[in-house]
Amino acid sequence: MSVATKVELKAEDIKPDVGTRILNSKEELLSGEIADEVRDVLTRRGVLVFPEIDFTDEEQVAFTKTLGNFAPEGDHGERVHPITLDVEKNPETAEYLKGSLYWHLDGVRNETPILASLLSCRVPSPKGTGNTGVANTYAAYEALPQEKKDEIDGLRVIHAPWASMFYYDPEPNIQKLEGFMRAGEAELPLVWKHQDGRKSLVLGCTAHHVVGMDHTESAKLLHGLRDWATQDRFVYSHEWSAGDMIIWDNTGTLHRAEDYDPSCGRYMVRTKLEGEEAFAFE
Amino acid sequence: MATAADTKWSVSDIEPKIGCRIETDKQTLLSGERRDEIRDLMEKRGVIVFPEIGLTDDEQVAFTKTLGKMGLDTGEKKDTVYPITMDERINPNASYIKGAFFWHLDGTMADKPILASIMSSRKLSAEGGDTEFCNTYAAYEALDDDLKEQIEGLKVIHAMWRSQLYYNPEPTYEEITRWQSIGQNEIPLVWTHRSGRKSLVLGNTAMQIVGMDLPESEALLVRLREWATRPEFVLRHKWALGDMVIWDNTGTLHRATPYDHASGRLMHRTKLEGEEAFA
Repeated sequence: MSVATKVELKAEDIKPDVGTRILNSKEELLSGEIADEVRDVLTRRGVLVFPEIDFTDEEQVAFTKTLGNFAPEGDHGERVHPITLDVEKNPETAEYLKGSLYWHLDGVRNETPILASLLSCRVPSPKGTGNTGVANTYAAYEALPQEKKDEIDGLRVIHAPWASMFYYDPEPNIQKLEGFMRAGEAELPLVWKHQDGRKSLVLGCTAHHVVGMDHTESAKLLHGLRDWATQDRFVYSHEWSAGDMIIWDNTGTLHRAEDYDPSCGRYMVRTKLEGEEAFAFE
Repeated sequence: MATAADTKWSVSDIEPKIGCRIETDKQTLLSGERRDEIRDLMEKRGVIVFPEIGLTDDEQVAFTKTLGKMGLDTGEKKDTVYPITMDERINPNASYIKGAFFWHLDGTMADKPILASIMSSRKLSAEGGDTEFCNTYAAYEALDDDLKEQIEGLKVIHAMWRSQLYYNPEPTYEEITRWQSIGQNEIPLVWTHRSGRKSLVLGNTAMQIVGMDLPESEALLVRLREWATRPEFVLRHKWALGDMVIWDNTGTLHRATPYDHASGRLMHRTKLEGEEAFA
């Protein structure tokens, strides 16, 4: 067998602390030959961009499976999950949008959150709207001053979907609040020590309070760290063109949608990789 | 000499449990002769509307002083009206007012909150910009006995920073630090006034019920705010130019309904100093 046929990763960094563009062809990606390199770059860089890669639904599923275990969503089985808002037919989708505009990571109520999301654009929203922002929470942790690291290592945070609801509906009725509260809460480490020894910050709009800390101090700490982690140097904001795909490492980033007109026809499809590592305390 | 019988004075209720309208004239208001009746109605009805009374700024200040001691916030000029607007050219602190789109009472950071606010419309927005009030005496009185018993004696920590999160849920570190520097205050959930009447103390600064688990505390505060703002306790005032409204800050919550911040909507407000501490 000829070594000359070996596919090589073609990648370029976007910003020093976050984001890498992958420039391999569809065929090279689908071959699975660089799957390990792609995963490695993903966990180091937080978010990968595949400009106008133009995967079909089937190709996106196939590519997802080269990287790990496909995580089915709802009743879609091993298919892509469509993300589109039709506020006229489906008014609750407007609520979905509101909930996605604030920094968060997915799966905070699961012991093992999903590893990654792969999002492709079929129809973009108008330029300047509907970007996807990703913040590298490994890089944000690493750049903290040592005394801050010492202060926060070992802290535990209560995460709850009901806490994030207050971000966009600060005056809910009791029925709505209790509905969200039934989804439960989880106690997670503020600093996640991953199996490879690296550490990331676990923050976002679901983070309600630090266990055992005065609520005012806790709010200052959590908002302060989110502000730190989402400063420009750690954030990549992707402006979509049709055919683009991005992957973000859900275990080492926060993400959000930037606002767009819910009736603009923006149409995305998503697949997910099953989690492989539980949230872990020091 | 004019007697009370000659002057224009007509009082009518607006909603069954909140609000009354007084049709009168400037001279009557400025004379102070109806002072006690106005103060009494304010406490009983929560809100008094003086339709298109058209007081000037100086007249509003003079009228305010007939009712009690005029209140001043830090930074406010003595004997003058305070502009309520989203236009930062008129009020550089306009962003703080954004909390006003959510139910609140004024002065929860003080031991003795202001007694009343008096607000006149100077410029209207084309749409929205109504002011809503709810009667927290009436809301308390209508609670079922079990709930009254459950909440009796509870204390709530109120904090300005909590109300700012309502409109800016992702503050910077600098913002939350600045908001938190305003401090916090522990006050009763049920306020027993000197008169013996009781009202609920709620609103967007209510952060946490002391000694209660946070989710439980949130749920109880949401439940009571939803109750107190049921339509039967609420008056929605749609402003006409020149209207003046007084509300009893100690027995109501209020909020503005959304309006275009570039509309130029402008209200001039005076306040009556508090006379009674939260108890």
